[in-house]
Amino acid sequence: MPDFEELSQESQRRFQELEAGDKPWIRVGTAVCGEAAGAFQVIEALNAELDKRGIAANVSAVGCLGLCYAETLVDILKPGKPRIFYKNVTPEMVPGLVESYLVGDDPRQDLALASFGDGSLEGIPRLEDLPMWSRQVRIALRNCGHIDPLDIYQYIAQGGYAALNKAVTQMEPADVIKEMQDSGLRGRGGAAFPTGTKWSFLARSPGPLKYILCNCEEGDPGAYNDKGILESDPHSLIEGAILAGYATSASNGVVFIRHGHEGPIHRTMRAIEQAYELGLLGDNILGSAFSFHMEVSLTGDSYVAGEETALMESIEGKRAMPRARPPFPAAYGVWGIPSNINNIKSLSYVSEIISRGGEWFAGIGTEGSKGTAILCLSGNIALPGMIEVPMGITLREVIEDVVGGVPGGRKVKFLQTGGPLGGVLPADQMDIELDFGVMSQAGAILGSGGIIVADDRACAVNMTRLLVAFCQYESCGKCFPCRLGMTNLIEILERIARFESRPQDMELMRTIGQNMAAGSLCGHGQLGWNPVQSALRSFPGDFAAHMEEKRCPTGQCLAPVFTPQRTRSRWTSAQPLELRF
Amino acid sequence: MVSAITLAIDGQEIVTQAGKTILQAAMEAGLYIPYLCYYPGMKPFGACRMCVVEVENGRGTPASCTTPVADGMVVSTNTPQLQDLRKGITELVISEHPHGCLTCHRTDIHGANLCGPEDICLRHVSVTDRCVACPKNERCELKDTTIFVGTGLTTPLTYKYRNLPVLTQDPFYDLDYNLCIVCGRCVRACEELRGDSAITFTDRSGISLVGPAHGTSLLESGSEFCGSCIDVCPVGALVESDYKWEKAVENVSTTCPHCPVGCQLKLDVNQRGKVIRAIPELEADANHGQACFKGKFGLDFINSRNRLTTPLVRRNGSLEEASWEEALSLVAEKLSGYRGDQFAAIGSYRGTNEENYLLQKFARVVMGTNNVDHSSNIKPEMLEPLGEALGYQAATNPIWDLEDAKCILTIGTNTSEEHNVAAVPVKRAVKKGAKLIVIDSREVELTRYATTWIRPKPGTDAMLLGGMLRVIVDEVLEDEDFLKDRCENLDALKHSLWRFDINKIEDITGVSQDDIRLAARTFAENSPAAILYALDTVPQSQRVDCVNALVDLALITGNVGKPNAGLYPLRPGTNDQGSWDVGCVPNLLPGYQAIDDVSARAAMQQVWGVDLPSGRGVGINDVFQSVSAGNVKAMLVVGDSPSFSNGDLGDIIETAQSLEFLVVQDTFLTGLAQVADVVLPSVTFAEKEGTFTNLERRVQPLRKVLDIQRTESRPDWWIICEIAKAMNGQGFDYHCPAQILDEISSLIPFYAGITYQRLLSKKGLLVPLLMPNFPLPSQLHPSTGGQNAGIQWPCTTPEDEGNSVLYAEGFPSGKARFIPLEMGEAPTMTTADFPFLFLPGRVLHQSQQEMEIVVAGQKNHIQRDELLKLHPLDAADMGINEEDWVEVISHSERIRAKARLTEEAFRGTVSATFLFGDLMTRLESSEDPDPMSRVPRLPLTPVRLAKLEA
Repeated sequence: MPDFEELSQESQRRFQELEAGDKPWIRVGTAVCGEAAGAFQVIEALNAELDKRGIAANVSAVGCLGLCYAETLVDILKPGKPRIFYKNVTPEMVPGLVESYLVGDDPRQDLALASFGDGSLEGIPRLEDLPMWSRQVRIALRNCGHIDPLDIYQYIAQGGYAALNKAVTQMEPADVIKEMQDSGLRGRGGAAFPTGTKWSFLARSPGPLKYILCNCEEGDPGAYNDKGILESDPHSLIEGAILAGYATSASNGVVFIRHGHEGPIHRTMRAIEQAYELGLLGDNILGSAFSFHMEVSLTGDSYVAGEETALMESIEGKRAMPRARPPFPAAYGVWGIPSNINNIKSLSYVSEIISRGGEWFAGIGTEGSKGTAILCLSGNIALPGMIEVPMGITLREVIEDVVGGVPGGRKVKFLQTGGPLGGVLPADQMDIELDFGVMSQAGAILGSGGIIVADDRACAVNMTRLLVAFCQYESCGKCFPCRLGMTNLIEILERIARFESRPQDMELMRTIGQNMAAGSLCGHGQLGWNPVQSALRSFPGDFAAHMEEKRCPTGQCLAPVFTPQRTRSRWTSAQPLELRF
Repeated sequence: MVSAITLAIDGQEIVTQAGKTILQAAMEAGLYIPYLCYYPGMKPFGACRMCVVEVENGRGTPASCTTPVADGMVVSTNTPQLQDLRKGITELVISEHPHGCLTCHRTDIHGANLCGPEDICLRHVSVTDRCVACPKNERCELKDTTIFVGTGLTTPLTYKYRNLPVLTQDPFYDLDYNLCIVCGRCVRACEELRGDSAITFTDRSGISLVGPAHGTSLLESGSEFCGSCIDVCPVGALVESDYKWEKAVENVSTTCPHCPVGCQLKLDVNQRGKVIRAIPELEADANHGQACFKGKFGLDFINSRNRLTTPLVRRNGSLEEASWEEALSLVAEKLSGYRGDQFAAIGSYRGTNEENYLLQKFARVVMGTNNVDHSSNIKPEMLEPLGEALGYQAATNPIWDLEDAKCILTIGTNTSEEHNVAAVPVKRAVKKGAKLIVIDSREVELTRYATTWIRPKPGTDAMLLGGMLRVIVDEVLEDEDFLKDRCENLDALKHSLWRFDINKIEDITGVSQDDIRLAARTFAENSPAAILYALDTVPQSQRVDCVNALVDLALITGNVGKPNAGLYPLRPGTNDQGSWDVGCVPNLLPGYQAIDDVSARAAMQQVWGVDLPSGRGVGINDVFQSVSAGNVKAMLVVGDSPSFSNGDLGDIIETAQSLEFLVVQDTFLTGLAQVADVVLPSVTFAEKEGTFTNLERRVQPLRKVLDIQRTESRPDWWIICEIAKAMNGQGFDYHCPAQILDEISSLIPFYAGITYQRLLSKKGLLVPLLMPNFPLPSQLHPSTGGQNAGIQWPCTTPEDEGNSVLYAEGFPSGKARFIPLEMGEAPTMTTADFPFLFLPGRVLHQSQQEMEIVVAGQKNHIQRDELLKLHPLDAADMGINEEDWVEVISHSERIRAKARLTEEAFRGTVSATFLFGDLMTRLESSEDPDPMSRVPRLPLTPVRLAKLEA
């Protein structure tokens, strides 16, 4: 039976060896943005260079610090020195860097982004002082970019699995739920349902088989925080899922990941294996009476698979189409077994909440929205990346202070928040706070945390058309209002973008939209009108210009209208008609 | 205990049960809520969103088909907001569904229709949109619903025709996906109702549709061509290809003539008096809205132009047309010379109870012989032990009881082809978690659903069952209470079982001890358990032993006399049960009274007023030997039968030629009719009245669907009466079958309460009739207004509702009697010329074997290499290597296949599994007027092998 104390000490020892040993520790960010920027080529070049020069060093592929703009990010910890982050490293820069800092002692201020840890170096700002870092409160992302996601000991050395140990040795399941309810954590998948309450539903369902489903479908364009967490710190999710299982007396966990992206899948699978190896998963976890098993399940290529009931269908190997509710998942979930579905981000908070207490968490954020928001910022901004900021910060602060605003002296025109169904938020509303209630009052949603910033060169009609094209393409095709409504909406929007709109089109869109909102089976169709509605409310002028003056104020719609081929209905493919009488 | 719930729907207070949905509660109360994807009997789906309602204090507009009722709920179904929403949704639907039928100026949406069903307009709308271009015109649920919700005639949405080719290549089906509204009913019917999953959703978003689950054709996706998807389709996307454009002017419910399940079918008749369509009755107890390829697509023989129209008489060696008077007087004159045992009568397996009763009465009363039988009675051993041990020679339980059985054992039955609808509850039971034990040397479709599939060496089934009984006794798995209270003679059975040593049984049957034990335990431990048997694979000498063992197996586990259990003999003939009941067999008088029983004979003599012959007559199995031996010199044969042509009885045509006088009553000039001296034209099942008794003892009516038009053909009962009268037979003055049934009811105690009039009346409604003009699913449209229940005998008084489960109240002789088992010997089933035994199989789908669909003559065909499995040692003897092409030769057939050597095959046997799709293409292109009555079965056949050179 593994003793957690021993495990913890062993982990500390191993981590100390890396952090305070006599060899330099080089960490390279290899999450999806790093990978795209060539992180693995950089690692290859580093290893070759170190070999050539006979330098003994530890090289780790870590996850993502969130500074996407600076990838590939290489951080070098030399014994006795603070960590230095080098930005936008290419394989060609590697020999020079090794020559000057590892062989010599020149920290190359010209290449460095920041330093981190005790002490400072002249000419290099401290990471904590960077605007993108200074406003952040990192709870769920606490380990991201700092540890090797494939090494469970590093996670334990950072205090990992202590919460699990605390729970199974000192707490009753009801205490864990109580702690979660005290924390005020609301689900981060989009619906913002209080997590503790959700767990209490499952806790009341009859066992012994119950499922905790972890949702990493994450199909929103511009959102990558779930995958980011799995790529950078999968154990924080696994620990959260085990704790959820303990709180609700569940027996099994399934991490549901969208396929096609190797990083999160491979790293989560490996992390689960490691947890089994150390007795943190499986039967009698840490010597307690509690047993919990986990596995990874992959989705097909479907956005709606992220909807909770469609996700269960997908896990069962069926077509990802939402089920009618009731029965709700807590009564009839995957395979008909009581289930509970949580977003990856929500679960990543859990171990910290259990360690530090629900009150601590409730002390962060606003009255209605506790804790932090994990945001993915992209679009036309200076410093795109993934950040974790406390709830209550205004959107303007996030855009202008944290990620550096729109470059080139341009102005923000609108934000696209919470995925395509979230619609657009005009720049004049940017002073609202990050808060579920406030955002929803403003007609936007925080959703999964993706924010795309568009400047004044963007056309609202074009943006709406692209959002609806996405929603139409991703409609599962089950319920009539969504399947047919989306198809007709995109058709009308294409007409408008081609300046061929008809007088009644505005009214028509409204009718279709309202019917979709009232009639659809799941959130996809119910919210499908949102992007058009929000654009119409905020940018009536753009629509009027297209419809009445037959011109596009920004010129974006003058380019050939592009809609992905498969969003078109079949009627466009000319096939011979055969009738048999 | 289901608790009562009170809710208000549109101000009307409704009491219903928990677990119902709002839509169900409303329907039951006679309130209509529009719907398109919901279907009575299927699980709610919640896709079309037409059935939206408002619930007081609830959020939004939930779909009533998926929202469960709750106490005190206040529901509005028709507020202006809901009306608008429904109109909006139908507008969306018709934006991609051809809707000329709604917008045509000749169709007044508010009432009067200026167009008749046969009118053809040519100009108003484009060709693809015309109402006449839709096969479901006039019976379209979408159109009815759209009109009901009051959608405007014009929609501001752009109309988008999908412009997909109409698929007509598959057998029996026409698929026009341009008309599909993606409600998913067909997908769900295939999965939920039939357990097949041959069709599925394809693609998603705006281009989502339905289609075959594998490949491009229903032939390769595992369709059983049951037509269930067609029946539930609300539009014209899935239709029967025959007569697809025809409009019905009349619908009549009757009983399917193809197998003893006795499906109730609604037959559509067109203006020209043709039966154009068969739609299974949703409200019938025998089939619960299901049918099969035979009933759905195999009734066109009614309309055949090749039917006999006048009597034929042999003059100068050839059959020539004659009048009824001439033919009847010739028959009477000739038959008068063969009274006594020189004569034999063979009734039809499709003969009604009345006709077969009359035939045996004719044989016994007029001809003075017990030489009378029906043509499908080739396995009488299936029944006799049932009577001996239990009391009645009939299935103990209803077909749909199987759905809730916990264990089902099938032995030697290809149920999914020969009694198709009886396989539906079996598949559903398996989906609900029941265990299915299939004992069959052949690979039939049910093996795909089996939890345990046991392949004994051919001819050893009875020993295997004895071994299972031995395991049950050894491991003390009996139902002790049942044995103590309701059975006798157990000791004799136990004593006889000592010979069934499990080691020996393993050697004989080739089934491992583990498998025998597993099967025995599974059957004994999962109660209620039912047994289905047809003994297709059991040689004649083993049949009695086999049925004895099955009866013992059911008794020892206490599976008789309770719901969801029992024994189901699956006999081949449509009305085998009824023919036995009315005594159309050589050894029994009506009501199962032995012909040798002096008192029973005396009672009948009293009724019929003549002396009756004693002693067992010759039956179907031995009549042709008697003919060859010169004992039987004249015969009357009613109807054709598969057993006349499938080799079971030898070459009967040649034998029949040696008869001095042969009369055949038939609808077509079949092989036997061609050698007859007189051929009397008889009508089909659709043109006569009468009753069939199905395999679950349910007496069901045949209704007259068509009048006999312009032909001289007559019902068989009329012909038999006329022959009898012409021969001065007394007691043949009937003017309708109801009168004959009255006589039967007066003679047979367990038919005593059954009258034709009672059978025609309807029981309660499963789907209540709503106000007229409310849209109904096309399967129910027009509704026949009630449940075609039939009556399950015993039914002893006019008030008796019949008995669904036999022996629930006790056994007729007090206790059931165990039958001791004999340890028989497996007979040799091969001959010197044909040294191998061929085990043919047929399944819906074989994903592991490569195949492709080729289009030939505008029809899809399966093309693949068949595989012949044989034992490596046998192969070595023959010099056959893996992958060699081999020809399998039987006395009547040759099949080419590639050799696949496997130790799993028993020595001396070879097996091959074919695809059901192949059979379908052959049946569709068959020249036979009634191909579905001659679907090739899967008999174990002696063959020889010949290696083919590459």
